[in-house]
Amino acid sequence: MFKTLNQRISIVLLVLAIVYLILAFQLPSFAYTNIDADVVPKGLGFLLVALSIGLFFAKDSETEEQRARRNIPQKDIGALLAVFAFVFLYIFFLELLGFVVTTAIFIFGCSWFLGYKKHVVNALVSVLFPLVMYLLFTSFLQINLPQGILPF
Amino acid sequence: MGSIEGILAGFQVALSLEGIMFVLIGVLVGTFIGMLPGLGPISAIAVMIPITFGMDPTPALVMMAGVYYGAIFGGSTSSILLNAPGVSGTVATALDGYPMAQQGKAGKALAIAAISSFVGGTVSVVLLMLFAPLLSSVAISFDPPAYFALMFLGLTAITSLSEGSTIKALISAVVGFMVVTIGIDPQTGTQRFTFGNVNLLEGVDFLVIALGLFALAEVCTLIINRKDLSFDNKQKLGSLKITKDEFKEMRGPMTRQSFLGFLLGVLPGAGATIASFIGYITEKRLSKNPEEFGKGSVKGLAAPETANNAATSGAFVPLLSLGIPGSGTTAVMLGAFLVLNVQPGPLLMTDRPEIFWGIIASMYIGNVFLLILNLPLIPYISKILKIPRPLLISLVIMFSIIGVYAISFNTFDLYMLLLFGVIGFLMRLFSFPAPPFILAFILGGMMEQAFRQSLTISNGSYMIFVESPIAISLLIIGLLSFLFPIIGHFRRKKEV
Amino acid sequence: MTRVGVSPSFREQYEQNVFFYLFNHYFENGYILKVLNYSYKQAIIFRFHKGDKIMRKYVAFLLIAILISVLAACSSDEANSDASGDWEPDKSIEMVAPAGAGGGWDTTARMAAKVFKEAGIIEEDIGVINKPGGGGAVGWAYIAGHEGSNNHLFVASPPIILVPLNGQSEYSYDDFTPIANVIADYGAFAVRADAPWDDLNDLFEDMKADPESISVVGTSSPGSMDHIQFVQIAKAAGVDVTKIKYVTDPDGVGLTQLLNGSVEVFSTGVAETVEQVKAGTIKVLGITAEERLSGEVLEDFPTAIEQGIDASFVNWRGFFGPPNMDEAAVKYYEAKFKELSDSEEFSAIRDQYGWDEMFMGSEDYKTFLDEQNETVQTLLDELGLGQ
Repeated sequence: MFKTLNQRISIVLLVLAIVYLILAFQLPSFAYTNIDADVVPKGLGFLLVALSIGLFFAKDSETEEQRARRNIPQKDIGALLAVFAFVFLYIFFLELLGFVVTTAIFIFGCSWFLGYKKHVVNALVSVLFPLVMYLLFTSFLQINLPQGILPF
Repeated sequence: MGSIEGILAGFQVALSLEGIMFVLIGVLVGTFIGMLPGLGPISAIAVMIPITFGMDPTPALVMMAGVYYGAIFGGSTSSILLNAPGVSGTVATALDGYPMAQQGKAGKALAIAAISSFVGGTVSVVLLMLFAPLLSSVAISFDPPAYFALMFLGLTAITSLSEGSTIKALISAVVGFMVVTIGIDPQTGTQRFTFGNVNLLEGVDFLVIALGLFALAEVCTLIINRKDLSFDNKQKLGSLKITKDEFKEMRGPMTRQSFLGFLLGVLPGAGATIASFIGYITEKRLSKNPEEFGKGSVKGLAAPETANNAATSGAFVPLLSLGIPGSGTTAVMLGAFLVLNVQPGPLLMTDRPEIFWGIIASMYIGNVFLLILNLPLIPYISKILKIPRPLLISLVIMFSIIGVYAISFNTFDLYMLLLFGVIGFLMRLFSFPAPPFILAFILGGMMEQAFRQSLTISNGSYMIFVESPIAISLLIIGLLSFLFPIIGHFRRKKEV
Repeated sequence: MTRVGVSPSFREQYEQNVFFYLFNHYFENGYILKVLNYSYKQAIIFRFHKGDKIMRKYVAFLLIAILISVLAACSSDEANSDASGDWEPDKSIEMVAPAGAGGGWDTTARMAAKVFKEAGIIEEDIGVINKPGGGGAVGWAYIAGHEGSNNHLFVASPPIILVPLNGQSEYSYDDFTPIANVIADYGAFAVRADAPWDDLNDLFEDMKADPESISVVGTSSPGSMDHIQFVQIAKAAGVDVTKIKYVTDPDGVGLTQLLNGSVEVFSTGVAETVEQVKAGTIKVLGITAEERLSGEVLEDFPTAIEQGIDASFVNWRGFFGPPNMDEAAVKYYEAKFKELSDSEEFSAIRDQYGWDEMFMGSEDYKTFLDEQNETVQTLLDELGLGQ
């Protein structure tokens, strides 16, 4: 049944479209308008249903190059997931520890993890860069970044 | 005071030592801030407002105008080098600018962007000077049905933005349109798809989408290829020189898009983003080899860059001659005027001709400055690409995070950024193109609003779209441009 | 920032649109101005020898500018003491604008912080923080998280009543501690100069006779300011409010729609109409103030009340504290805001932005807010919009 990749994707999209449609049908109505808030979403939902059915039966038109993009070595998938985890932690601690501290740790750790060997340069960049950006934003542009645990 | 005298007075202001100095400061600050990812003309103008407080209004406003178009000029840099568009007007720039930079022609890409920006800026200033008073009637000529038709025309670009499967491009666009329906619906106040989360009430921010789908998705690719030695080749700056042939290629798009971009800029609410996309697709349609687009085409880079700069000057028409801010940025510009006790509007040209014409005249000089300041800067800016890949990846992530945080001050939007980064990467893996997604996101919301405004005004009658001559002609053009590639597709199939 | 989504507080953002970003530090110290002065003089002296030299200088100037401003920012911390009142702040005060930079809330907060500091009314540092999102809801949730704090303030206006009533925020005005109202602004109803109506009664008569023929445009969604101010006045004039055709133009181009004839009436703030009236493109049929305003052009605008329609709408703006703020702290801030409102510096700012003075202390403010809330609640119930 779900032999080709397109067919599998189309099922995922179909589910997405149905969930969206269910939500769209639950939107409350508003008395003073000709075209209510739910009209366009409903249209989009049905359109996506139609398109995902179309994709189900569509012939695979991918080029070799596009297909090759999916051949990711196991190791690189691990690296990707790890970087996403780093970013997640970066965001999580951003407001707790402050911009300068989290960013410094993130840049140093992430670059090291990805194979940057010049630790001294890395350390310098990861300390100076966030500091300069922080001062530039908070003092020059008057845009507040999270101060966190540092006294300034 | 007649127009000619006004124009002369304007040049007197612009060519005075004071005028030249303030234009220079304006464009310097503008370019610098515009180059920082996530910061666009709005932040740039905001930074300068307190400095102008208490200054003589004419030089102050000449400087502010310089900051504005300087920031647009500088904004294309991060799109081209890092695939990280910080302003919606430069998304289309990334489509061909980034591939070109990746082919080891970063210097050339930046030079093309600078030159086409300069041409777009300069031609449109000429138009502004000749027609500003006349164009104020054009600026208000678009009613909701006409806006609907214009957005529709823009959306027809989807079929031509797809590299392979049309159906995948359409799916990508529909999902992009779905994302923009999140939030409070302006026409009814209904909350749509917010799941009771206050952070979603105002919808998903453009920067979250742009940086997620473009910058973070690119980061993923960089991570996978981080040890690939062939990447060293891509760090090359390449020659800055634009060959005669390339210049010939640029000439057509630059001429056409200067005019088209300017006209679209004049319309309040349309602006640089729509101008750049419409510029991109018209050139792709006109081109003899449209398959080059999206792979580092000279035309594909020159067109949106010319158009968005031309649109920036165009936006001064409703601002100066009607006092109507057509976009978030010109709204802030209006604020800059008010702080200096200058009220732009229909009376500005007669009451304060030196300001009205001074700003316009100074744009000539500003554009020249931008060019001679930016061309020599290119080799230095392109050094960004020499940063070792692991470090560059970390820095791009950091910049994306700062850019989003600086507008939302909220970690929720950062998690959304991460989510769209994942979505963007998956879209790449499965060959769903990102440009239709972002185009539908930008235009879809406005299209829906214009559609429903029209029908409220007409008490539900669809005739309103047919009765407006602008709307009906735009709709027909849109329909044709949507159908032609599809028909062509089937014909080719038959032949095979 | 391009919010492609919806911003119900666009009117707020659009109204004054004045960014007074750095004001505090730079302007008073004049550092940046000096640096820029220096740098452009230098730039002219250096002529254009070679691109890269210029480039190095250019970067150097910017770096110097940044460095100096950083130094300026760091050196301005001062210790302070104040002997009046039972409670006084012992650390810096955080003033929240529940919207992005540049809107009405942001401007009011930044201006108040500036006058507090410059006129020496409050010596402790006051930092203005933006918490945009949800038409204020994100900022209110943030403040509610600082329950009992005496060092948090936020600026508010009618949306803090309207947004919760529309079901878009779980926190409403009565969850917070009202401290003082400071300024007021009013709504105006404009039509094209060649429109057939000369006063509000003409317009409302036509609306009663043929409601389908007249559309009203505003920048905020139904149930928020531009809509409610119109509905309130129209209702008092006897118009069936359920038949009013209201169009939202979230991109802030309502004026364009009025001028090109797509819509008939523009519901907006008084300040937005002045220049167009001067130029003779539109006319203002009525404003929502109780009495006529003063100032050129403004004084010619008739109020709804003088046209026999007994209703008014104030776009008030004041300051609140978090839930359960100490009584003593409320007293302290109330006195300080009174001082602010009476100061010459703030008076000058009011004049510049065309704001009206409207001071109310904590108790009066609370009563006023309750009344406002009830009026709006009744209106929304009648429209069937209340949640």
